Amino acid sequence: MNLDYSVILSKLPILLQGGIVTLKVSLFALLIGMIFGLFGALFRISSNRVLNSIGFVYVWIIRGTPLMVQLFILYFGLPQLGIKLSSMTAGILGLAVNTGAYVTEILRAGIQAVDKGQMEAAQSLGMSYSKAMVRIIAPQAVKISIPPLVNQFIMTLKNSSIASLVTITELLRTGEQLIYTTFRSFEVYTTIGVIYLIMNSIFMVIANQLERRMAQK
Amino acid sequence: MKHMVEMENVHKSFGSIEVLRGLNLVVDEGEKVVIIGPSGSGKSTILRCINRLENIQAGTIRFEGVEINNKTDLCALRTNIGMVFQRFNLFPHKTVLENIIEAPIQVKTLNRQEAVKIALQLLERVGLAEKRDAYPPQLSGGQQQRVAIARALAMNPKIMLFDEPTSALDPELVGEVLGVMKSLADEGMSMIVVTHELGFAREVADRVIFMDQGVIVEVGSPKEFFENPQQERTKAFLSCMRH
Ligand SMILES: Nc1ncnc2c1ncn2[C@@H]1O[C@H](COP(=O)(O)OP(=O)(O)O)[C@@H](O)[C@H]1O
Ligand SMILES: [Mg+2]
Repeated sequence: MNLDYSVILSKLPILLQGGIVTLKVSLFALLIGMIFGLFGALFRISSNRVLNSIGFVYVWIIRGTPLMVQLFILYFGLPQLGIKLSSMTAGILGLAVNTGAYVTEILRAGIQAVDKGQMEAAQSLGMSYSKAMVRIIAPQAVKISIPPLVNQFIMTLKNSSIASLVTITELLRTGEQLIYTTFRSFEVYTTIGVIYLIMNSIFMVIANQLERRMAQK
Repeated sequence: MKHMVEMENVHKSFGSIEVLRGLNLVVDEGEKVVIIGPSGSGKSTILRCINRLENIQAGTIRFEGVEINNKTDLCALRTNIGMVFQRFNLFPHKTVLENIIEAPIQVKTLNRQEAVKIALQLLERVGLAEKRDAYPPQLSGGQQQRVAIARALAMNPKIMLFDEPTSALDPELVGEVLGVMKSLADEGMSMIVVTHELGFAREVADRVIFMDQGVIVEVGSPKEFFENPQQERTKAFLSCMRH
């Protein structure tokens, strides 16, 4: 065995820079994905057939195809149709669209898990459907959805490694470039793993605290 | 006397199952009507049709003389009709006080101060003033149902609909809820109450209605109804209830 982490240590700032790109891609993807998911869920519970179908097809296609294929279509496929996206745009957008489909399902399930009597009580007090949705149903649905959302956020952060394949120099790609010059695969990959683990752990701690605070109510 | 609710030849189906089969019912202003009947006979459905939580297939329903149909402003209609559910349906993420002021602020656009003032008076009235900052899951069933009554009253409704308000309660908690309902009746509120509490029906009702399989089988004053029921089905149900 000849493991030597000193090489990695000296290159750590470069890796951390990759980590920051990963964080940036993931956070943007999460934010936009949440918006997609919110609309997706509203479409899915809507009684409007067209909106409902759009929501259904969105979730169906995204869940039924690999993220890698989705990213490749955006980055390598679209230019053929004259739409050229930067690697960053393609990566964030692809990851967001992907996350959005799962968030759609999470929020839809959350809304449907709220007791039907809640909507009836709100409406019987004279509240409109949309007002009842916003003021009464949504807060309860969000609370129910937090654990699966946290899970999805962690998935998105890890999935961002696939963005390396559309040439975004995030954590994984930075590491791979480091291996070309150092030939230290084991050290580099384990270090990358640890960095992912730390980022996710910080995130889980924050999520736990949020959950606990909401549970007190 | 003014008619509050009029139902004429009302038909209501869920899919192929006809739940109300040509129902006629008039409730006057200030009147207290108690509906009893076996499970599945359509009692809840009657109440839910009156505030349009369900739509009917045929017949007419009028509230204060105005037909409620597709053109009706549902929010305005429902503001005038208070509803109390078997399972309370309080908003679990809001405190007792917030539960009560929610609709007055959101629907009637009362300012918060006014809404709180009304809510505190109502809480006083149902004996729960000290619970204003509690969350519903921290309350007993009886307390939750009293809050639900206060919440409905906060909209200042013209009639109150009660759908088995004590059926989900432990026996020792039934009395406190019936007490609040009685005091409401004494103040002249129009009420339609679905319940299995025959004592309450006897004491409070102007008329008792027996429903079975989507039709009204028998109507009478409590005295006639309980002491001298005419229909065989009524007699069978009453003897069932007493044992
Ligand atoms: N949303 C619904 N969908 C289908 N069937 C229903 C629905 N609501 C009530 N029913 C049926 O209608 C009948 C009457 O119900 P309900 O009015 O709740 O009776 P009750 O309150 O007298 O027990 C029952 O057979 C019930 O199964
Ligand atoms: Mg019922």
